[in-house]
Formats: sequence, structure tokens, C-alpha cells
Amino acid sequence: MNNFYEILKRLYTHAIFLVLLGISLSLYFNTTYYQKAQIGLLTKSLSGFWHKHTSFFTELFSLRQTNMYLALENIKLRNQMEAYRLRLRELQDSGSSFLDSAHINHYILARVIDNSINTRKNFLTIDVGSRNGVYKGMGVITQNGVVGIVASTSPNYSSVISLLNTDIKVSVKHKKSGSFGAISWDGTSYRKVILDEIPLHCNVSEGDTILTSGFSTIFPKEIPIGRVVDFYNKDGSFLSITVELFADFKTLDYVYLVDSKGINEIHQIQTENR
Amino acid sequence: MVSDYIKYLWLAVILFLLQFLVLNNIDLFGYANPYIYILLVLLLPFNIPHWLLLLLGFATGFVVDYFSSTIGLHTSATLVLAYLRPFIHQRWSFKSVRYEYSNPDLANVSLEWFSIYVVVSVLLHYTVLFMLETFTFHHFYLTIFRILLSTILSSAFIIIFEILRVRNVKRLK
Repeated sequence: MNNFYEILKRLYTHAIFLVLLGISLSLYFNTTYYQKAQIGLLTKSLSGFWHKHTSFFTELFSLRQTNMYLALENIKLRNQMEAYRLRLRELQDSGSSFLDSAHINHYILARVIDNSINTRKNFLTIDVGSRNGVYKGMGVITQNGVVGIVASTSPNYSSVISLLNTDIKVSVKHKKSGSFGAISWDGTSYRKVILDEIPLHCNVSEGDTILTSGFSTIFPKEIPIGRVVDFYNKDGSFLSITVELFADFKTLDYVYLVDSKGINEIHQIQTENR
Repeated sequence: MVSDYIKYLWLAVILFLLQFLVLNNIDLFGYANPYIYILLVLLLPFNIPHWLLLLLGFATGFVVDYFSSTIGLHTSATLVLAYLRPFIHQRWSFKSVRYEYSNPDLANVSLEWFSIYVVVSVLLHYTVLFMLETFTFHHFYLTIFRILLSTILSSAFIIIFEILRVRNVKRLK
């Protein structure tokens, strides 16, 4: 009898284990990544306070590098401004249409307060939220390329699906040949992504630049993303290209959010009136 | 007895804070992230009822999941670890000092035994964690590499933490 009781006692532990395992596995496989982002956001807005204060110290160490990036970007912007000034003068002279100015994006500056690169589904948290005009689906970029897409927002914080997340794809093009493809992350190295769907006949070589295509209007056109480091013939008709990212996701600090709502509205109005 | 619960709660708070605020920001080569929180399962008393062990394992994993927005992942891994803990104890039973109510911490067991215990447990935990996370055999060798690297890193962190903790506790006494 005692023996029987012992067996029952052991089985009962196994049963509890199986029930709990069932619960946790179904939790794991049934939550979508939007839900995960939402949960993360709730707790992160609580710990956001802490992150802000620690980042005050951690940023001291990367100050030199950040300064360098800012200086470089300043020069680039200055050059761009000059080019635009020249273009403006030309336009004024020729009296051409005003429509081109509609192709200007509006940017929101944000700081990364939480970031991960070591899981296969990485998310970032940034310090702007719906109160600053951030909405779901906005593109996030840095001066070195694409960072990700806003997944969910709270009043003061937003959660961003990182490009280093096996769930997202970004439409890009090969600069030299102009052919289009999509990049996605295979979860191996945080410096490298995989570019698929480039046809074999395109003349791809190592060191070629990959740009955003601008198809989805989430990201502006022709932002440099990375360069080709390796490629091979995947299935007889398409290449599989390994692209090294320009952006170092480990040291992300300042990012820009692309507000393309304005453009979409203008396009909508234009087509309605036609 | 009550003071033991309070001590355990304190340990939980300290470990979670350490995990979320410090260790989650460490990533060696972009592959390894040390998880120290499983000490909460490892340090439970030898004679704890198995159902309570499972529930505590589940709860620990759930808290970590909630703060890392990976619902279910750490819960499953920690639950499996809690389930296998009695088997580990059976396999590497510690004979010389085995009090009925003692905990498997460094105050009661030797460093060698504790190290084996930690490495085996961490290896199990990471195997479940990474297999569940990747859920594919595509990058099989990469996953194995991540498991081994993370196991070494985590075990080192856990053993160092435990040595410091036990030393402090002794000093307080």
C-alpha cells in the first residue's frame, strides 16, 4: 500500500510538470510579437526612469565616438544643404512646379534607452512615444542605415522591432544594377543580414552598396544600408547575398524616426483630384 | 523558518535587479548573455516538495519573461530545470554533509560539488532555452556554440556570485 502511495506521489509531480509546461509553451507559441512588444513596453516605461539615469553615465564613455559621428553628419548635411540651395535657385529661375517639395520627410529625433542584439527576436526601446507624434509602423533609421520599425507606442516610449529580428523584411536595392530584393536577418551575426531575390544575371561583386528601395514609404529612398561581403547561387535563379551592415547595432544611441504620413496624405489628395 | 523565507525573497529581489539592470546589458560577442537568476531554483532546500519546486521554477521564469518580453521562453526553460533538479541531485548525490533542511549552497557543500551542480544545471537550462528560441536545426552548430559559451559565462558568474554571497553571510554571522 505504501508502495502504491509512493508511485501516486511521483506521478502527481510529473502531472504538475506537464500541466505547467503546457501552459508555458502555449504562452510562448501563442503570443505574437506585437503582444510581446506591448508587454515589454509596459515594464520598460517603469524601468525607463532607471535607464535614463544609467545612460547618463554610460554615454560618457561613448561621447568621443558620438561626437565624431555628429561632426561627420554635420558635414554631410551641410553639403546636402548647399546642393539643395543650388537646386532651389535653379527651380526659382525656371519657375517649375512646387510638387517636388512634397517628397520631403519629417524626422523625429529619439534616443535608444534599451537595446538587445543577442536573441533572435530583438527589440529596441526609444524615449519618444505617441505624445511626440510617434505611431505604429514608422521607420527608424540612423545616419548609418535602417534600424527597424515601430511596433507599439505608449505616451512616452516606443518599442521598435529591430532589423535584427527574424520576423521582419526590408525592401532594398542593389545600387549598381538597380535590381530589387529584400533583406532579412538569419539570427547569426549582428553585423550581417541576408539579401534574397536578386536575380543571377545581375553583376554583383564584393563591396557593392545596398540601399533602401523606398517602395513601402516606411523608409525614405536610397539610404545606404550596407555592403556586399559574400554571395552565392542559391537555387539556380536567385543569389543569396550576405550584406555587412553599416550600422553597428551594439552602439546605437541617437536614431531618427521617419514620419511619412505627410507624403501619403499629399499623394492621396493628388490622386483624388485627378 | 520565517527568516528563511525572508532571506529567499531578499535573494530573489537582488538577483532580479542584478539580472535586469546589469547582466542583461552584457553580451559577449553578441552571442552569450549570462543568466544568474536560476540560482533561485538551484539554492532551494534539498528536501523541498517537488510540486513547490516546480511552482517556484515556473514563477521565477515568468518574472524574467515578463521583464524581457519573451513570454513563455524562460518560464519553460526554468520549469524544465526545476523538474530535472531532483534527478541531478540523485545522480551526483552529496553524501558527506546532507542535512535534512539544508540548502545546496556553498556554506553546506564543497566547491567541487557546487561547480558540477551549477555547470550541469546551467547547461540543461541553456539547451532548453536556445533550442526553444531558435526552434530550428538550421544553425545547429552555432546554437551548440552559443550554448557552450553561455554556459561557461553563466556558470562563472553564478559561482563567483555564490562565493561572494556566502562570504558576506559568514561575515555577518
